[in-house]
Amino acid sequence: MTVVESGHDLGSNRGQIWKSLRSSTLGMVGAGILMLMAAAAILAPLVAPHPPTHVNFGLSYQPPLTRGYVLGTDDLGRDILSRMLYGIRVSLQVGVLSVAIAVVVGVPLGLLAGYWRWLDGIISRLTDLMLAFPFLILAVGLAAINGPSLNNAVIALGVAQIPIMLRVVRGETLRIKASDFVTSAEAMNASGLRIMGQHVLPNCTSAIIVQATVIIPVVVIGEALLSFLGIGVQPPTPSLGIMLSDAQQYISQSPTAAIFPGTAIVLICLGFNLFGDALRDALDPSNANT
Amino acid sequence: MSKLFKKGRLIGVTSLIASTAILLTACQDPQQTGSGGGDGEEGGNGGVAEDDLRAGEDVTSIPIDGQEISDGGRLVVAVNTEPGTLDPTFNGTMQMRQVAEPYCEKLYDLDDEGGVVPMLATDMPEFSDDGLTVNISVRTGIQFADGSEFDAEAVAISLRRHFEEPESVRASEMGPIESIEAVDEETVEITYERPFAPVAAIFADRAGMIMSPDALEELGENFGDDPVCVGAFRVVEHVPQTGVTLEADPNYYDADNVYLDEIEFRVITDGSIRTANLQSGDVHIAAPIAAQDMDEIVGDENLNAMQTASLGNHYFQVNIGNQNGIGTDPVQIETPIAENPEIRRAFSMAIDRGALVDSVFDGWYDVACSPIAPNTPFATEASDDCHEYDPEAAMELLEEQGVDIPIDVEMMINNQPENVRFAQALQAQVEQSGFNLSIVPVEGTTLVEAQREGDYETAFQFFSGRIDPQANVNNYLETGAASNFSGYSNDEVDELLQAAAATPDTDERAELYGQAISMIHEDNPIVYLYRMRNLLGLSSDIAGVTYYSDGLVRVSHAAFVEDGD
Amino acid sequence: MGRFLLTRLWQSAITLVLASIVIFLGIRLLPGDPATAMAGEDASPEQLAAVRAELGLDDPLFMQYMAYMGQVLTGDLGRSTMHGNPVIDMIGATLPVTLLLATYAMVIAVVFGLLLGVLAERQRGRWPEWFANGAALIGLSVPNFWLGIMAILTLAVGLSLFPASGYVPFRTDPLRALYHLTLPAIILGASVMAVIMRQTRASMLETMQADFVRTARAKGLSRIRVLLRYGLRNSLIVVVTIVGLQLGMLISGTVVTEQIFALPGFGRLILDAVFTRDYPVIQSAVLVVTFGYVVINLIVDVLYSVINPKIRVGGGR
Repeated sequence: MTVVESGHDLGSNRGQIWKSLRSSTLGMVGAGILMLMAAAAILAPLVAPHPPTHVNFGLSYQPPLTRGYVLGTDDLGRDILSRMLYGIRVSLQVGVLSVAIAVVVGVPLGLLAGYWRWLDGIISRLTDLMLAFPFLILAVGLAAINGPSLNNAVIALGVAQIPIMLRVVRGETLRIKASDFVTSAEAMNASGLRIMGQHVLPNCTSAIIVQATVIIPVVVIGEALLSFLGIGVQPPTPSLGIMLSDAQQYISQSPTAAIFPGTAIVLICLGFNLFGDALRDALDPSNANT
Repeated sequence: MSKLFKKGRLIGVTSLIASTAILLTACQDPQQTGSGGGDGEEGGNGGVAEDDLRAGEDVTSIPIDGQEISDGGRLVVAVNTEPGTLDPTFNGTMQMRQVAEPYCEKLYDLDDEGGVVPMLATDMPEFSDDGLTVNISVRTGIQFADGSEFDAEAVAISLRRHFEEPESVRASEMGPIESIEAVDEETVEITYERPFAPVAAIFADRAGMIMSPDALEELGENFGDDPVCVGAFRVVEHVPQTGVTLEADPNYYDADNVYLDEIEFRVITDGSIRTANLQSGDVHIAAPIAAQDMDEIVGDENLNAMQTASLGNHYFQVNIGNQNGIGTDPVQIETPIAENPEIRRAFSMAIDRGALVDSVFDGWYDVACSPIAPNTPFATEASDDCHEYDPEAAMELLEEQGVDIPIDVEMMINNQPENVRFAQALQAQVEQSGFNLSIVPVEGTTLVEAQREGDYETAFQFFSGRIDPQANVNNYLETGAASNFSGYSNDEVDELLQAAAATPDTDERAELYGQAISMIHEDNPIVYLYRMRNLLGLSSDIAGVTYYSDGLVRVSHAAFVEDGD
Repeated sequence: MGRFLLTRLWQSAITLVLASIVIFLGIRLLPGDPATAMAGEDASPEQLAAVRAELGLDDPLFMQYMAYMGQVLTGDLGRSTMHGNPVIDMIGATLPVTLLLATYAMVIAVVFGLLLGVLAERQRGRWPEWFANGAALIGLSVPNFWLGIMAILTLAVGLSLFPASGYVPFRTDPLRALYHLTLPAIILGASVMAVIMRQTRASMLETMQADFVRTARAKGLSRIRVLLRYGLRNSLIVVVTIVGLQLGMLISGTVVTEQIFALPGFGRLILDAVFTRDYPVIQSAVLVVTFGYVVINLIVDVLYSVINPKIRVGGGR
């Protein structure tokens, strides 16, 4: 959502970036949250006390701190903690894969649009079209054609982010193209594609990374929204969004079942937002001293 | 851009979440289990009948009973789906029946015991000896909402429109009609090609809604823009996805017993939000109430609850021979579950219906083993019969069939949250008996299309149910019937069902349907799972409301009582 | 400016045509058609066939598209297959609700975003900054449907501060209309507010450190006057950009907000039309959304060059 305007070459001052990142308390808090979430996601099969889809009819709606079920159980007696661990896994998966789509499609198109004027017209029309097209309709359409699944959710969410990534990269490219080193490379008759690859792309990297940290929370929330509308991940796979929309149905029976997955979503987004802010400052020294 | 924070302050976020948690936990109810079958008993006033409600007793009426009422007022009723066009000829949705209740009366109506009684008709239909001619006598001296006169000719015009319009969705349910004529001012004569029993029941539904001939003349196929019928109220405005507003109709024949000025039907799709609106007083009636919210409604002293056993059912369907879509001849599908009825029987035996209903719906729904609801006049011992839950026996039966265990079965379901939750519970249960059930949730229209086209292995779907069993049984199980999505075909069953549909006598029909269902329990093209109860919540200052087995809340004669308890 | 406008108009027209083709073909790829949704539970194959013939669904796609565009160009958007109402009436009834809601949400977002942004800058290192930052983070990190449900349960059911649903047309009673829309607008505007707050704060920080501001302060202008004269003006540019970018998102966001608060809006109309395969409604609604997006961006571009004539915006030049 936020569009980042400027950035610097990553390679040249890696040490400085690290230093700046480390000195940001909030950035470190964000990084800490993210590492915790990543650990939860990766280690889910090892640390989850129960299989996430194991149904136990006799044990539904157990409150938190029930023996053996630290966060309680849901309507079908499934362990909420275990489901959350796996749910975080799905959410991060959705986040990373969607960003991958946005990057793989958005970055090259952005470079082309920014570098070659004649392509800009066509690509900008397509971007306009995509931005104007409500992404929910795309998501519902995909779900209707192929059935709801993780892949479809990822595609719908990723595609919706393409134009934003594209615009960021296009803006960067326009800026970098005007710089001296590109002009001199052009004077030396380097081909357009080569200039893009050697000079423009590396200089866009920081903007792309920062934009990615902005996209992920948006996408994680997007997954929850799709699940709420019944077009997200396929059950019985636990996703935070499914847990949330399930829990909302029996909120009068067991309100805590809705609090935990909600908190997990907030934490993931918080982690990315905090870390993304710190990263942006670190990558953009002109603002770092504020 | 810049750094977000100088220093961290996560406490704000965390404490907000924590306080929400506490706030919500405070209103948590103790868990409640237990299920029961509705047995058709009528209940008392809402509120007092808490135990009865929990035991599954019907509460069909909250009468005014001499309470002080305040004349006038605007009643807001929350419903769960958009009704679609307000034209009874072209509307295929269930919700339209609800919205039409105050503005479009029918020839017949239901009563609290599931029987059919005259409404705009003055008597039950009279059948000729050969069963081919039916006379219906209708009211005279009453008026449509536009002031024009109601008579047999008007009835005939409406019925013919329902039957003859090419786009009518009523035509197929009306039976093998040959002609519809008004023979005098108060009698309509309908002739049939074959004897057809469910006449009164059909005309107690949308096919029995009578439209003003003047309005039809004026609006033609756009009658739904401004529908004019006989009713206690008339339509003021319809905003799709949002609701319908009605106002009291001064031309109504029983206007003396109409107390409200206005009724608004408000579409609120999400169950828990519907409940929240009822609790906050933004709506006065919410129908339906989600099963999970029912305990809370029953426990709330400002609210009353009503319930009736419904006529519909949720079922698990196996595609046996529907390869090329409805309307084509069945061709056997060559998968184990499609070919072998014993595997389907094992599936049915693997299901603990009571436990499913208890855990997924907190015991507020009823188990179902047949398309005939147990509280109707057509229920028999045979139709109430059920495969006993026995996971070990089911596993053994499956092993005897010589298939690889676990056997993979793909089940397509509607992606509504309630269905998804039930499907997961079902999945866990049949797993014990060697079924590896994978769930494919699709959006509603996709599911219907897949069923029609035969593009599914098995499906979990529901039918809202009709008063007459012909629609509930024949339409699903007779060879070539419009909703026989299984592509099921059994000559003996067909004979029984055809005989049942042509027999006017209720007991004889019940007997025939019972025999057919015993055979269905052998073949199991459809495994019946549960029956929703119609659940409703209303503010305690509302009276004069009835709620019958068709799941429509009748609010035409509702009123606000002065001193709601 | 004239040339610029002309180019933009031409580009907009292309976007519109592209959108109409994409949606036209797209919805026909979905399984099921209007007949499936219309006919209901008891439909027979004959009925379905009759409905399809009547709706012209058996014609070749190209013919259907041309017929549709021909209709649209004469101002006839057709009738809803599901509801039978003229599509133009349905859009006319629902669009104002959504526009009012989106505008209200945007106003809340801009006002509070700017306020919190300025506050955060002014009170750096003290609790108002933490409060503002916390609010922004919640706005960005909480799914808005979840926020909406929580708000209904706490503010509407628990404390009875706001109605949980319902809509009063603006014309009948403006105050009550706004009262009913307040909670949905806050929920809808939360994430936009967060973005605006953060951008405002960042651009204020940047401006306040710029040389000309230091000069102004050295000349003895009070901090608050500098803030208003220079800082806020620069922030406005950022805000206008964001408003342009986010309004499209906001329209998508209304779908859920409208569903949760049972508002008679445009978002629900679209979503339900997709579910019921209501071709005429989807087609026209998407055209309206695309049109709205194009117009808003045009306005934003023009505004942008008015606020800061040095910057020239728009692709294709």
